[in-house]
Amino acid sequence: MYGVFFVTGLAMGALYALSGVGLVVLYRCTGVLNLAYGALGAAGAMLAWQLEQWAYPEPVAWAAALAVATLLSFVYGRFLAPRLAFREPVIKAVATLGFALVILGILNYFWVEAPRRLSLSTDDLGLRMLGVRITGTRVLVVMATLLMTLGITLFLNRTRIGLLMRALASQRDLASMLGVPVGRVEATAWLISGLLAGFTGLMFGDLVRPNPGALTFLVIPAMAAAVVGRLQSLSLTLAGGLVIGVAESMATLVHPIAAYRSATPFIVATLLLLWLQRKRRLTFSGQD
Amino acid sequence: MRDSLAGRLGDRRLLAGFALAIVAIAVVPPLLNSLWLRVMLSSVIFTIAATGTALLYARLGLVSLAQVALVGVGGWVTLRMWHATGLPFELNMLVAGAVSALVGMLVGLPALRMRGLYLAIITLMAAAGFQILVTGTQFPNGGSGWLGIAVNSIFMPRPRFGHSDEAMLRYASVVALLCFGLVAWARHSRPGRAWALIRKSEACAMAAGVNVALYKAWGFAIAGFLAGIAGALLAGTIGVLDATTFPASESILLFALTVVGGAYSALGQVLTGLLFRAAPALLNDWGVDGNLAYALFGIGLLHALITAPQGIAGQILDGLARLRRPRSER
Repeated sequence: MYGVFFVTGLAMGALYALSGVGLVVLYRCTGVLNLAYGALGAAGAMLAWQLEQWAYPEPVAWAAALAVATLLSFVYGRFLAPRLAFREPVIKAVATLGFALVILGILNYFWVEAPRRLSLSTDDLGLRMLGVRITGTRVLVVMATLLMTLGITLFLNRTRIGLLMRALASQRDLASMLGVPVGRVEATAWLISGLLAGFTGLMFGDLVRPNPGALTFLVIPAMAAAVVGRLQSLSLTLAGGLVIGVAESMATLVHPIAAYRSATPFIVATLLLLWLQRKRRLTFSGQD
Repeated sequence: MRDSLAGRLGDRRLLAGFALAIVAIAVVPPLLNSLWLRVMLSSVIFTIAATGTALLYARLGLVSLAQVALVGVGGWVTLRMWHATGLPFELNMLVAGAVSALVGMLVGLPALRMRGLYLAIITLMAAAGFQILVTGTQFPNGGSGWLGIAVNSIFMPRPRFGHSDEAMLRYASVVALLCFGLVAWARHSRPGRAWALIRKSEACAMAAGVNVALYKAWGFAIAGFLAGIAGALLAGTIGVLDATTFPASESILLFALTVVGGAYSALGQVLTGLLFRAAPALLNDWGVDGNLAYALFGIGLLHALITAPQGIAGQILDGLARLRRPRSER
């Protein structure tokens, strides 16, 4: 009994974590907290669902989902985000809400509210662990999250473009003065984050349900995971996402709070923020 | 300072706005059919809520994405109060305003000592959290116990001066004017000066001895109060409320339209209310899918942020000011 909820929670938590990692990588490099992240994934998942309905082979659906999210992310990052490059972080974040509304409106226009199911072939695979059968999708999600977080960490630490990304993250103005090709480095970040958004969107579509609104607003719990990592640390984001996911799922077993368990991410993140600022004073030099 | 030219012009504009609004309250309601009466009523109510968002955004540069959730809090308190005590609507409305103000302050609290982005994050999480909470508990409708849920809803009656839709529209409009007055008063007194200094530079404000955290919290409180009033009016209009009226997406949309309408003048908030409720109805009349309105509003938000920070109202007011100026100065 506990095993079922633990495994379910672990998979959801992994997706929160991976979304959080996508948000953090982008935020660190470009200063944009992409609130359209969920909408990008939703676009991918809905397209995959549609292709599945039209009986296209599954790899096509996968590729389309990843491609459309990556493309949308790139288009925003290349053509709209630079116009707000010198505004406060909160304005940059709010602008992505505009992008999210555009995507959501269009998705809801094409895919009217209806019960749908997206089933990928990984659902048919499975293995037994802790006395429960775990579907291949859940295994894939957890493995992919761990591997991708590790991969991105290595990418940031070992490659040249990763180095440039870290340079932008720590001192934007100085980095650009020293000749970091800001446009190209930022575009890379938008591409990586878009790809992650597409993958998580597709997986959320499979594990939750392919519904534009629901998938779009999954960015909020993902953001909670990113807040746990203080929008900086990938490993803390990973841990935060996993803990939130497992706690949320296990809360199903505690009867009086079961109906409110989806609020877990917000409670965790808010408590953490309160704790983080306990000794802080508003000072002149602080940053967001 | 009252005696500056700009100040006097601003006052005159304010008076002209009030006069225009009173004429509109007298003339417009009989012209509308029953559907549009409802739509306009809803627009006026959300104008009040938007005034709160606009206050935070324009005066303090703060982004609050939980305003519609706070409207829900106000509605919940109003219904709870009426079912429990049967007090007159106006008293319940004030209590709702006070509770929403308190909740608004509590939501803003974790972000008080952090900068802008975290307030947006926290309010967005609060909006999503409220959606979950209220879907679980629902709104009181005359049942027993603290949550007060009954199988058959008992409707709260309309306020004494708002029995017909026409009267209710006038009633809500008068409340909206009072709310505008409250904001104008706050802006022209001590908090307003503190906000102006904080907006210019927090460092300056602190150096000048302004208690930044206190005045920010005061801003949250007024914004929450306005949301609570709007929630009470919504409850007073319909008599019962439903959790589906207050999802996080509506809070986001209200903020977006606050920027699109124009956060810096009362006219902007009127436009926001109209865009929020009347524009979808109008598009529906024309046969345009309501979901495309979302897409249009999203484009509007991006456009406003990138090129028109004063929103539609700013463009209208600028146009008027240019017309009034002598030709040689244009």
